[in-house]
Amino acid sequence: MAHFAMATGFLLILIGAWGALTNRNLLRMIIAFTIADSGVNLVIIAVGYMHGRTAPILDSAVAAADAVQRIIDPVPQALVLTAIVIGVGVTALMLAYVYRLYEKRRSLDIGDFTELKG
Amino acid sequence: MSALYIIAVGLGSAFLLGLLNERQRGLAYMITLAALTIMSAISASWLLIFAATGAHPIDILTAGTQPPFAINLRMGLVESALTLLINLTGLLAAIHMGDSLLAKGRRAMAVLVIAIMALCGIVLTRDIFNLFVFFELIVIATGGLVLLSDADDNGRAVSAGFKYLIVSQFISILLLIGIIFAYHATGTLNIDGMAEIVGSGIKPELATAFSLAFFLMFIAVVAELKPFPANGWALDIYESAHPGFSAIFSAATGSAALFAVDKLLLIGGADWLPVATGIGIVTFVGANLLALPQTNDRRLLGYSSIAQTGLVLTILGQQDILGEHTLFIAGGLLFAHAVAKAGLYWLSDFVATRSLTGWAALQERPLLVFAFVTFAAMLAGLPPFPGFYAKWELVHILAAEGRLALLALILFGALVEAGYLFRWFGYLIKREPDQEVSCNTVQIIPVFAAVLAGWALGFVWGELSGHSNLLLVLPLLFALAFLLLEWAPAWFKNTLAIGGMVTFFLQTYAEYDPLRLIFAVIFMIGGAVTLLASYHAHGRRIGFYPAAMLMFAGMILLIRATDTFGFFASWELLTVGSYFLILRGKHSEPHALSYIIFSLGGAFLILTAFALAAAAVPPAPTFAIASLGELVQPVAPWVFLLLAVGFMTKTAAIGVHIWLPGAHAEAETDVSPMVSGILLKAGLYGLFVLLMTMGKQSLYGVELTYVMLWIGAITALLGNLMAIFQEDAKRLLAYSSIGQMGYAMFGLALMNHLGWLLALMFVINHYIYKSMLFLSVGGVAKRTGTREMYKMGGLITLMPLSFIATLIGIIAVSGVPPLSGFGGRWIFYNAILTADSRLPMVLIFLAGPIAFLYLFRLIHTIFLGQLKDEHRRIKEAPFWIILPQMIYVALLMVVAVVPGMVLRHVDAYISRFFPEGALNWEGMSITSQFGYWNPVAIMIIVGVIFMLLFSWLLFVNRKAQKVKQFNIVFSAERPFRPETTHFAWNFFAPYRKAMGFLVQPFVTRFWETVTDLLHTAADITRRLYNGNGQIYAFHFLVFVVAVFAMKMGI
Repeated sequence: MAHFAMATGFLLILIGAWGALTNRNLLRMIIAFTIADSGVNLVIIAVGYMHGRTAPILDSAVAAADAVQRIIDPVPQALVLTAIVIGVGVTALMLAYVYRLYEKRRSLDIGDFTELKG
Repeated sequence: MSALYIIAVGLGSAFLLGLLNERQRGLAYMITLAALTIMSAISASWLLIFAATGAHPIDILTAGTQPPFAINLRMGLVESALTLLINLTGLLAAIHMGDSLLAKGRRAMAVLVIAIMALCGIVLTRDIFNLFVFFELIVIATGGLVLLSDADDNGRAVSAGFKYLIVSQFISILLLIGIIFAYHATGTLNIDGMAEIVGSGIKPELATAFSLAFFLMFIAVVAELKPFPANGWALDIYESAHPGFSAIFSAATGSAALFAVDKLLLIGGADWLPVATGIGIVTFVGANLLALPQTNDRRLLGYSSIAQTGLVLTILGQQDILGEHTLFIAGGLLFAHAVAKAGLYWLSDFVATRSLTGWAALQERPLLVFAFVTFAAMLAGLPPFPGFYAKWELVHILAAEGRLALLALILFGALVEAGYLFRWFGYLIKREPDQEVSCNTVQIIPVFAAVLAGWALGFVWGELSGHSNLLLVLPLLFALAFLLLEWAPAWFKNTLAIGGMVTFFLQTYAEYDPLRLIFAVIFMIGGAVTLLASYHAHGRRIGFYPAAMLMFAGMILLIRATDTFGFFASWELLTVGSYFLILRGKHSEPHALSYIIFSLGGAFLILTAFALAAAAVPPAPTFAIASLGELVQPVAPWVFLLLAVGFMTKTAAIGVHIWLPGAHAEAETDVSPMVSGILLKAGLYGLFVLLMTMGKQSLYGVELTYVMLWIGAITALLGNLMAIFQEDAKRLLAYSSIGQMGYAMFGLALMNHLGWLLALMFVINHYIYKSMLFLSVGGVAKRTGTREMYKMGGLITLMPLSFIATLIGIIAVSGVPPLSGFGGRWIFYNAILTADSRLPMVLIFLAGPIAFLYLFRLIHTIFLGQLKDEHRRIKEAPFWIILPQMIYVALLMVVAVVPGMVLRHVDAYISRFFPEGALNWEGMSITSQFGYWNPVAIMIIVGVIFMLLFSWLLFVNRKAQKVKQFNIVFSAERPFRPETTHFAWNFFAPYRKAMGFLVQPFVTRFWETVTDLLHTAADITRRLYNGNGQIYAFHFLVFVVAVFAMKMGI
């Protein structure tokens, strides 16, 4: 299961990266990045997964005393929450950029924004 | 106050700004400034504590738990210094961008504060995931600020910001994956914990996974440094963002990212140091090369920022050998870069156009020019700034460890950098300003805060260096004091300068041995006499005195230097001072540039030689110059070679002479004698010291002094040959200096008693007559308004004193009796009779009569012949230009009559090195083993012959008819003909036909080709940066793969 999730995660990253490098449309690039971000998140979760264990929530089902033996590693889960939040922030910022770029040039083609170079 | 408050104040005030009303902009701005001030104050207080007590770093726990269960921050000396740098940059940038921030409102301010907070976070945190979060905050804040600060409103900054975001996405993907797998392998996110686990050995089954994970983290953080060539995305931001923000991006972001790389290297260990070095040095050299063809000022600064960051990365990669010095070196370079770059970005806001030449607008504001000079000198690593001390230390350690290739690359990159910086400065000073400077008082504050910080850092690094602090050295302080006196009239400053030099000489003359005393007299008293000519200048003459006194201070310190550090520092000081001085000439921009590049190149050779020498003996804090003599094979000949070439760039030996003619000819009237008559002697002094300490050396069986002999002979011949074909009187004198220096070098390289005496004779004579000739020709040029000799003529009656000076001067130079030049010749003939190198001697013999050919033209074309119609009313040169000439005439006479006055002491001194061949100075005549020379007798004989012939001439011509100029029946020349048909134009055409092939500008063409190649290579590489954000992302991925492949290959 974990391997499958991890493989899927990496596949998503590759798809996302490929999409971001080959699509000239700014919006498609952003979508590609969100796909890659999802892949990263999946990989993080998969790394923290341990076979046969339960979610890291200490309640009546899992007592604090034997939690170490029964729950999966909670750190990647905490990290992935942060990563998701940051991902949302960056995506929002990129969308704001696209909006502004479209306002200026009426174009969504990355090839139209090359006046700075050399 | 806990360092955590830096983060808390930053975050808190950003949230507070969010709560404000959109219209309360003034209040919002106040909060922003207050927050940044408090953050700076916290850093500053910690820095004071750590600097004063040397206390250990303090860990700050969060969430009340020990790491790795909660994030911990660390505040130590480095952290406090870096956060202070970041916070102050933020504060000053906020002040600089005041108008813009007020216009954009509280959101922009909040983003700015967040950016600064996050940068501090990168420095403080010891948690790898936290590091990632802060990096992402930087990305978002940078993106936000760029979006808000699209200064010129044409969308360029917006598209640049988008490219930045694209690449940042890739970087964060790599970083996250790296972090999670590193966590998986080590079980911790704490940087120190991770380093500990890696240090004690990772489980074998996880080792590969960890090294891959580490690679991803490492490359992602290194990418934040914008390594060459995967950095197109960052350059666009540098170019298009508000300069207030670009300053942060350059100074603060770069510094924080470098510290992050250092943290990662802590985890990675020694294996990864070569990778850092490799990426760093490629970035340093590559980015500097690409900066060469840039015309946009901010893009150039961007390239330079990237280059400097690359250099610091290189140093981090060398920490295995730099050890405890890493902090001093990396810190010196980093702070110099950060302060200077921030200052330059802020300064760029005062310039309306984005071309480098547009900076000429600053000309009208001496204070801003001073700021630019400070920043450029800091970047170029010149004394007395921190980069200089850092460079010295770095080169020494690299040489000691034998990492010579890296050393060469660093110096090459630094030379390229100095090249474009000084070219830019040349534009600033010499181009026509096409618009006004636009700045308000508030915006000037950050610039001068940076200037002050620069000088303060120079002082601190001087104190830390373990060498003498240059900012406490009297002659340099005296020179710098003139900066504060710029408001005063020129005559006042001139008097002060002369008084200062004479006083210093009187205070110190007893300390010098006879050889140094000669140079001391020329540098200090000679300088004072030459400065008499400067009384003719009116007004305040801004910029002249600091530059001139810097040069003199450098020369004075040079002869006083006892260790290699002092020697090298003064060498750089005199180089920089003379560069500023030369640049003052009307058309001297390109010549001053080639002067400084050749000189710095030579200085780097000297530096390398000193470092190699110091590496060959047991380690000591200083290396006495006298110890050069203790060096043995195989180092000694290399040290000799590098030093000799370094000194020869200053004496303009053939091959590295191309800077001299322009530099000396285009300089101002009173500057030419200083840089020719006096400054050239610094190079000779270097050669003297070199030969005195190291003596004969041979490399691969070739005796190096013999090579020098040849170079001296060829220089003498070709210098003189080139001089005869000049039409420009000052250029003629300049070329003649090349020849004269060739003679002196030849004498030195003879390596016998008389050879050295000859060289010293040339030191003295060349100083006197070349100063005199440059002054008289300069005075004539001032009056006639031209330096082309064929445009003059018949000035003997109008400018009789200048004529006398020139006549005496050329008699002295050409070495005919009765003046001191003959003494030189006499010693010379004796010297070569004792030497055994025949062929170079033939060349030297040939050079003699050639010298006469060009000297004769000075008299013949300028003072004799027909007076030009437009010169009918000109007067003698100004009094203050004539006065030193007359002093020189008197001096020449004295030296001619009693040469023994000076030379017998030197002769005795040289006997220490060459006991054989000393002259006998008994009575009025001087005896060698081949004959004797009685100056007074010769003077009398020549005088009598002259009087006899002259009276006879008067007698036989008593009935001759005086020919007036327009009596065209008698005068050979018809007036009002085109000047190119003037008889004195192309005077030596037949000689040119015969020997012209010798004076083809081969050397000039060679150096031009080198420069062209550099530019072409840069231009081709530039095409990589095609402006497409996607391509930049692709570059980045290729870069990652390439580094990976190389790392695995290593």
